[in-house]
Amino acid sequence: MWKPSAILMLGIAVVMLSPAFWAQSKLPSSSLPAGPMQAKANTACLECHDAPIIAQQRLSKAAWTKEVDKMVKWGALVDAADRDALIEYLSVNFGTDKAPYVPARSSAAKGKH
Amino acid sequence: MSSRREFLQTIAGAVVAGGATRALPAWGEVEAGPSISGKEGMIVRSVRFLDLEAPADYLTSFITPVPHFFVRNHMHEPSALDPSQWKLSIGGEVDKPYSLTLADLAKLEARNVTNTLECAGNGRAFHNPVVPGVQWGKGAVGTARFSGPQLKMLLERAQLKSSAKHVMFRGLDDVPGKVPPFIRSIPIEKALEADTLVATKMNGAALTRHHGFPARAMVPGWVGAASCKWLTEIKLLDKPFDGNFMSPGYRMPNQPVKPGEAVKPEDTHSITALGVKSVIASPADGAKTKSKSITVRGAAWAGEADITKVEISTDGGDTWNPAALDAEHARYAWRLWSYQWKPAKGGDYLILSRATDSHSRTQPATAEWNPSGYLYNAYDQVKIHVEA
Repeated sequence: MWKPSAILMLGIAVVMLSPAFWAQSKLPSSSLPAGPMQAKANTACLECHDAPIIAQQRLSKAAWTKEVDKMVKWGALVDAADRDALIEYLSVNFGTDKAPYVPARSSAAKGKH
Repeated sequence: MSSRREFLQTIAGAVVAGGATRALPAWGEVEAGPSISGKEGMIVRSVRFLDLEAPADYLTSFITPVPHFFVRNHMHEPSALDPSQWKLSIGGEVDKPYSLTLADLAKLEARNVTNTLECAGNGRAFHNPVVPGVQWGKGAVGTARFSGPQLKMLLERAQLKSSAKHVMFRGLDDVPGKVPPFIRSIPIEKALEADTLVATKMNGAALTRHHGFPARAMVPGWVGAASCKWLTEIKLLDKPFDGNFMSPGYRMPNQPVKPGEAVKPEDTHSITALGVKSVIASPADGAKTKSKSITVRGAAWAGEADITKVEISTDGGDTWNPAALDAEHARYAWRLWSYQWKPAKGGDYLILSRATDSHSRTQPATAEWNPSGYLYNAYDQVKIHVEA
């Protein structure tokens, strides 16, 4: 009875040790979706925020425009030449047509809080 | 016995998420559940800046344990806060400005106030059309016993001038970039109420860092943003503080607006007290049950008013029946409630809750849409399936 489970466990362990498995797993603080403006978004947005606060938005292009312009006013580093492309990137990846964002749940860490 | 797929999911979840609930972001990557000091099982809306929401099924105790109490930070928590160096200054429109150390504050008579604290944006995710901001669901709310000296006592010691009409709070948040600091003010009348505190304790223990250690304002019955954390300065002003978090932040349209409509700043007012609201903590949305006797339970609150009634509908709003209110209550605290229900037959059910308060306000079927998504308070609802 237990042998198939053991084989399955071994298989899972092999899968988890493979680089391909971990390539699919990213910490929320570091991951915005791939795209032509991913690097710019990392610089502009993730300097202060983590990815989930961006990824949970479902906004129209007009709303993303307002958000980007507000953040630039508040210190986000966006070259004028990149503004429109960044808005496009956010609108495409986090537009109103996207599936609902599913948030993570916290686990308690020890230490000062 | 679990299926192979369930087993694989369990293993993947346990490994990737470190034991926390798995999450699949929209673009298909597996997302890890972060470790956050003193906070277990909370819905992570953001880590930087920390925004944590209680899952609905945590809203079932009169006093919310601190590990399950929501966190709303606008900016970084203070990175270097030495309690021995911390001071609270009181100045502005007063004759005798002064400051207090934490030891000074601890010597003052403390008052206990049990308060339901709710973020103004709680429920923002349910507004249609969606609006930007932290996409809170049901759980940016909690009830705690806050303790500390009355703000009134601290203000009177400074001898208020007749020009002192508003009380400004400044915290020690670490402000990133050119972001305006989180400074807000409340009218003097609210500041002088007996239950408005400078709180140093929460549920009998010192405030934790996430909740504003070493001291925070506690403005009972009002939106959470009034209760400034990491408090370091109280300043009396002759008019409301003029800053981003007073305007355009935390304002509602003076008149109802069409969903999606822009609102001029002059047609808005500052948000103060919370509205009337109930949430269903159990059963969970999407639950499937074989039970023939179901307890619907949850919490209801109304800011500065009292809850007088909670009603439940199990037929999508055609008929309503009263829920039983728990005996435990306090001036500014939520009432827990329950409703025993025996479904006549199997099938899909839409369960709704609505609360009424002592100001004759009843939760509406549709919340008042506004551009920032504040004060969402439509009927709460869960859909469940009862097996035949």
